[in-house]
Amino acid sequence: MKDIKKKYGYTFMLLGLAAIVILFFTITKAGAFWKADVWKGIMAQFPEYGIMTLGLMFCFICGKMDMSFMMLADFATVMAVRHIVQNVTPEMDNGAVGGVIIVGILIALGIAVVGAIINAMLVTQLNIPPVMATISMQMVWLGISTAITRGDTVTGLPVLYTEIGHKTFFNWLPLPMILFIVIFLICWFILKYTVYGEKLYMVGSNEKAAKFSGINTTAVVLTSYILCDVLATIGALVMVSTMASAKADYGTSYVTRCILILVLAGVVPNGGMGKIINVLITLITIQIIATGVNLFSNLNTYYASLIWGALLVIVLILSTFMTDEGVISFKKRGK
Amino acid sequence: MSEYLLQMKGIDKSFSGVHALDHVDFAVRPGRVMCLAGENGCGKSTLVKIISGVYTRDEGEVYFEDKLIEHITPAEATRLGIQVIYQDLSIFPNLTVMENLAINSEITANRKLVNKKRWEETAKEALSKIGYDIDLYAKMGTLSVADKQLVAICRALLFNAKLIIMDEPTTALTKKEVDALFRTVRQLKESGIAIMFIGHKIEEIFEISDDVCVMRNGKNVFLGETRGLERKDLIYYMTGREINDDFFVPKNISEKPVLEVDKLSLKNHFDDISFKLHKGEILGITGLLGSGRTELALSLFGLEHPHSGKIIMNGREVKIKSPQQAQSLKIGYVPEDRLTEGLCLAQPIADNIELSSLKRLSKGGLIKKETIYRDAQIWVDKFKIKTDDARKNANTLSGGNQQKIVLSKWLATDLEVLVLNGPTVGVDIGAKQDIHALVHELANEGLAVIIISDDLAEVVVNCSRVLVMKAGRIVGEMEGKDITEENIREIIM
Repeated sequence: MKDIKKKYGYTFMLLGLAAIVILFFTITKAGAFWKADVWKGIMAQFPEYGIMTLGLMFCFICGKMDMSFMMLADFATVMAVRHIVQNVTPEMDNGAVGGVIIVGILIALGIAVVGAIINAMLVTQLNIPPVMATISMQMVWLGISTAITRGDTVTGLPVLYTEIGHKTFFNWLPLPMILFIVIFLICWFILKYTVYGEKLYMVGSNEKAAKFSGINTTAVVLTSYILCDVLATIGALVMVSTMASAKADYGTSYVTRCILILVLAGVVPNGGMGKIINVLITLITIQIIATGVNLFSNLNTYYASLIWGALLVIVLILSTFMTDEGVISFKKRGK
Repeated sequence: MSEYLLQMKGIDKSFSGVHALDHVDFAVRPGRVMCLAGENGCGKSTLVKIISGVYTRDEGEVYFEDKLIEHITPAEATRLGIQVIYQDLSIFPNLTVMENLAINSEITANRKLVNKKRWEETAKEALSKIGYDIDLYAKMGTLSVADKQLVAICRALLFNAKLIIMDEPTTALTKKEVDALFRTVRQLKESGIAIMFIGHKIEEIFEISDDVCVMRNGKNVFLGETRGLERKDLIYYMTGREINDDFFVPKNISEKPVLEVDKLSLKNHFDDISFKLHKGEILGITGLLGSGRTELALSLFGLEHPHSGKIIMNGREVKIKSPQQAQSLKIGYVPEDRLTEGLCLAQPIADNIELSSLKRLSKGGLIKKETIYRDAQIWVDKFKIKTDDARKNANTLSGGNQQKIVLSKWLATDLEVLVLNGPTVGVDIGAKQDIHALVHELANEGLAVIIISDDLAEVVVNCSRVLVMKAGRIVGEMEGKDITEENIREIIM
């Protein structure tokens, strides 16, 4: 029992936080909050940045940072959407359109992999601090996609593609939600049962020691960036589908939101720690807050941002009082 | 006035149930070097922290210059003339020597403006106290550990120190630097200052101290003059057990060498190094810091890339470009710095032990935690790693036990050659003996071992053959009975 408490202490704290949030909206907005539409909205909204957060999680556990994932994903989706829009003609049947869409998706994922390789090379081969390297790349991707689109929104996507973001099963389960669940399970499996997952935590904890133990640390870092950028791009492909368009700077606020969720979940970029279950709980809590705030007609959506920020600060302050393992610790390891 | 500068009687201190100090008596005389010895966790640091005012005693009396000191605070300790030089030296690495020396007195004087000239004077005055010469404008971080230490001593002297306490000052120093430090200590002693040394290196205790206080499990088991004390008695006091240095006698050395190094050179580090290593032998490579010994070891492990020469494993020439390659050639390497290179401290003991064996334990890229823990438990038991659960993090263990993790990490793999760089740095005597005994056993089971160390006693006890390096070259080789500390010292300098 004591072991469980120690191992999952932080998870319980996050569950408690979620309970408080739900209780708050239940009391203040009793009628409006417990409606099917509200919960459908929650399920429809968080998958796109949820998938991105799961990707960034790999970078964080590895002790690295990726500021470029959103701009890279925007560039990738802009290229994908341009390909789809330019190649789909009204005469095409659904099968042919599907083919074009698949090629478009592959283009986007290919670009994500290339971007990830560049990030990993800057960090591992040239030893540039990850924040600096990826901020630079962020600007590079933004610059390229703005130049290509002249800052315009790329529209004209076929219905077959925009349906991805809007399709629901049984009238309550959105397709993006299913995608998120599948990706979540894959990520959970990677962390728990693969050799890469085992190496990931060790490299994140002490890259040098891992290297001295015969681990190919470059490969581990590269894999982490690829997972991060590919998942970010998948998230962006979903986002583009819901918006029915692509743009060079869509989703810029997702960068800070993903970082906030991870830190709140106890996955800090110092590396070597974090549980995926905590990320899931935090993700849902954050979305409940965003949706709940919208129920107050006199508050605008930016209040959600205020609450998230305040929550993060409170959790960080609380965590300085808790020194047990598994709790956020910003202390430098090794001493 | 009594003969003592500092006298402590019946000091008692507990931390939430743990009896750290059990009625300890302690005394320091002016103009003498007192060595506070004992293994890790024996209560040495707690005693020092009571003297320096960091902790408050539960019971007991403290007299300084015959006056009873009721309550010691750090500020009070400084005022009395007690200065502690901690292992990390508490310096500002980004500031210059001058700034480091002068900053304390500037702050004490509550000055708001900077006067370069006054700073320089303060700094010069400090350095002149031990006749030490160094560039005042050098950045502290760029100095060697030895120089940093001397600056820290000078800084302590600025406070009219009567008692200087040094916490394991020789840990990061080479023999030559230790000698220089000891010269300074003797100089200070002659000027009437009492020096308190904290450490566990037997040779150094006999070399420098006038009095010894040995602690074990929170009690002091010996307090008296060093003169007349026998080496084996001192070790007995410290460890509570008889420890004999078992010299390594190779039992079965293979005829053919397992590893041959032929005219290996790495620019600016070592030049024209050739040697052969057989199964069943322990080859010592010793030399001062900067002699190229570490770089040579790293070359065998693929982390340095020699620009000429050959490495031959079992008769076949090999190129070792990465640690992975070294590992597939069955070469293991225990690094110099356990904390930064050897361990993932915030990860479980078991995961650390199996870090190099993931390939063996996994199947098709998949691995189970249970497999890791089961396999690691074998090593925890075999090595007597002191933990009740291998799932606990590595940072819950003491230095000696941590070093055992690093060793088991490699022993858990299939090895032919094991390179140990400073295998017992910062490890106390008991654990040191365990590690030495284990290495002997492994060599006799057919492992080829290289020990790289500047701890000459360690080299003498463990190695069947020794290479001495100096400025990147091998300057001497000795075998069997010829391996003595004197012989090595003669050519090492």
